[in-house]
Amino acid sequence: MSRHTWFLTALLLASVFTRAETTGGQSEDVKALLQRIDQLEQRVAELEAGKNTSTAHLQDLKAQDTQIPTGQTVEEHLSTQMHDEHSQNVRDVEGHFPSMQLRGFGDVDFSATDERGTTSGFTLGQFVLHVASPLSKKVAYFGELSFTAQPTSYTADVERSIIRYSYNDHFKLSFGRYHTPINYWNTAFHHGLWLQTTISRPEMIRFGGRFLPVHFLGMLAEGNIPSGSLGLGYEVGLGNGRAGTISRAGDNGDVNSNRAWVGRIFARPAAMRDLQIGGAFYRDKITPIPALTGTPSFGEWISSAQIAWTHETPELISEFANVHHRNNLTGNIYNSQAYYIQLAYRLPWEARKWKPYYRFEYTHVPASEPLFSAPAFEVTDLVGSTAGVRFDITDFAAFKWEYRHTKHRPTDPPVNGVFVQTAFTF
Amino acid sequence: MAVITLAGATLSFAQTAQDVAVIVHPKNTVDNLTMADLAKIFRGERQYWRSNLPVLVLLRSSGSHEREVLLRNVFHMTESEYKQYWVSKIMRAEATSPPTDLYSNGMAKEGVASIPGSIACISAADLRPGVKVVRINGHLPGEPGYPLH
Repeated sequence: MSRHTWFLTALLLASVFTRAETTGGQSEDVKALLQRIDQLEQRVAELEAGKNTSTAHLQDLKAQDTQIPTGQTVEEHLSTQMHDEHSQNVRDVEGHFPSMQLRGFGDVDFSATDERGTTSGFTLGQFVLHVASPLSKKVAYFGELSFTAQPTSYTADVERSIIRYSYNDHFKLSFGRYHTPINYWNTAFHHGLWLQTTISRPEMIRFGGRFLPVHFLGMLAEGNIPSGSLGLGYEVGLGNGRAGTISRAGDNGDVNSNRAWVGRIFARPAAMRDLQIGGAFYRDKITPIPALTGTPSFGEWISSAQIAWTHETPELISEFANVHHRNNLTGNIYNSQAYYIQLAYRLPWEARKWKPYYRFEYTHVPASEPLFSAPAFEVTDLVGSTAGVRFDITDFAAFKWEYRHTKHRPTDPPVNGVFVQTAFTF
Repeated sequence: MAVITLAGATLSFAQTAQDVAVIVHPKNTVDNLTMADLAKIFRGERQYWRSNLPVLVLLRSSGSHEREVLLRNVFHMTESEYKQYWVSKIMRAEATSPPTDLYSNGMAKEGVASIPGSIACISAADLRPGVKVVRINGHLPGEPGYPLH
């Protein structure tokens, strides 16, 4: 790594010590204004009580045939105006359909590794737009678009496109393209890198990776299971599963006539806020394109387990997955495993802006595994450590510094790398 | 001492000065919520009443006493963590928007009185007829053991 890399890292470290603008004074002003509104509302209520007395008095006068045309007209006009304003306020509070809300995520990265054939430098990360729009009180649409820099242009992808019909908390049915609920990380952070503590995703669920299916196209039923304080929930889906390239979902149709199934059950106990424990399964038939020698297809059965404690003091996320492949030509069975464990802790000083973290990850694929060892579908063994620190410069932007040490095959040299990222939402 | 009676409850202004009342539409059948129920509702984890009516959470805006009480006792979050929580929740497609922010207790009361599935928290001293006060862990504002203050 060049001296320039270390200079740049030091420069970024120094920059974050710049103090953010204080908003304490504004906050006090807002509090005072809100208290003033409450006082004025109480005063209006008192005056209205007085007005009712006046109205009764005016009606008495009217009964006595006293002429009060001007006052009566003003009173009726005010009454109509107040009713219209009230209706408008209530309509505003209740919401409009559809009402699209747009949120963006972005990141800028710097990387330098000692891997042969790589160069250090900056990269523009994904530019992500997330759309949420209620279409009625029980129907909503969610979409996620990403724009990724390529050597000669940008690629645009529809990462998620979901329409959901909600009957109640126990049954919601949706259709579209999802992040497969086989993995916690995949459904908690999506493409919003600002949301995740680290710069990188775990290798087992890396975008463009092949170990687990990142995307899923089809239908999904989900909801809470009546379970009291245990807080059980479920997701059950039916869809196209992996495409011929196995790293993508079959967006324009399935590669075979066998649908994929996915199911997940999880618990969010009321007594342990921010804890989620779950397990999932995924069943599919893989028809690789390009075909392997003998044109085999593979039965795939993935089982996984997750635990996530996102309390931040500490944060613990750990997942395990076993990918079971059955060669339908030979009947041979292969099992590959991957897991990671990530620990982080939000430090109490400096307005809780610093969060150091560490992640260990491991992947094992049997040497005889015909699908994951084929060059077009390759998944390699991995032993890796990631250590870093996150600094939240504002509520919606963060700097992250990360060191990674990874080793793939026994014959491969270990790779060390330094990564810097600023990730934000807007 | 001034006294108001709502939903069968007798509340005194002196007792309720700092308490925050949970109010719902008068036709809502719910009478009592636990703190765990309240947390699920305000955190968007429970989005329907038992009658399958969608819940609409109305929240006082940032800087208000009611919001501070809720953030401390129900969300267990700071204002920043609350904002980040809803960005994350919407990104996960678990909600389409955060709770509606309202600038006064009067607006909250008007909203709850008009929208059947709505729920809000207002200062117990600002309670007026037209809404239903819900017991929290079996207690009403002003009673010993009431948790929202």
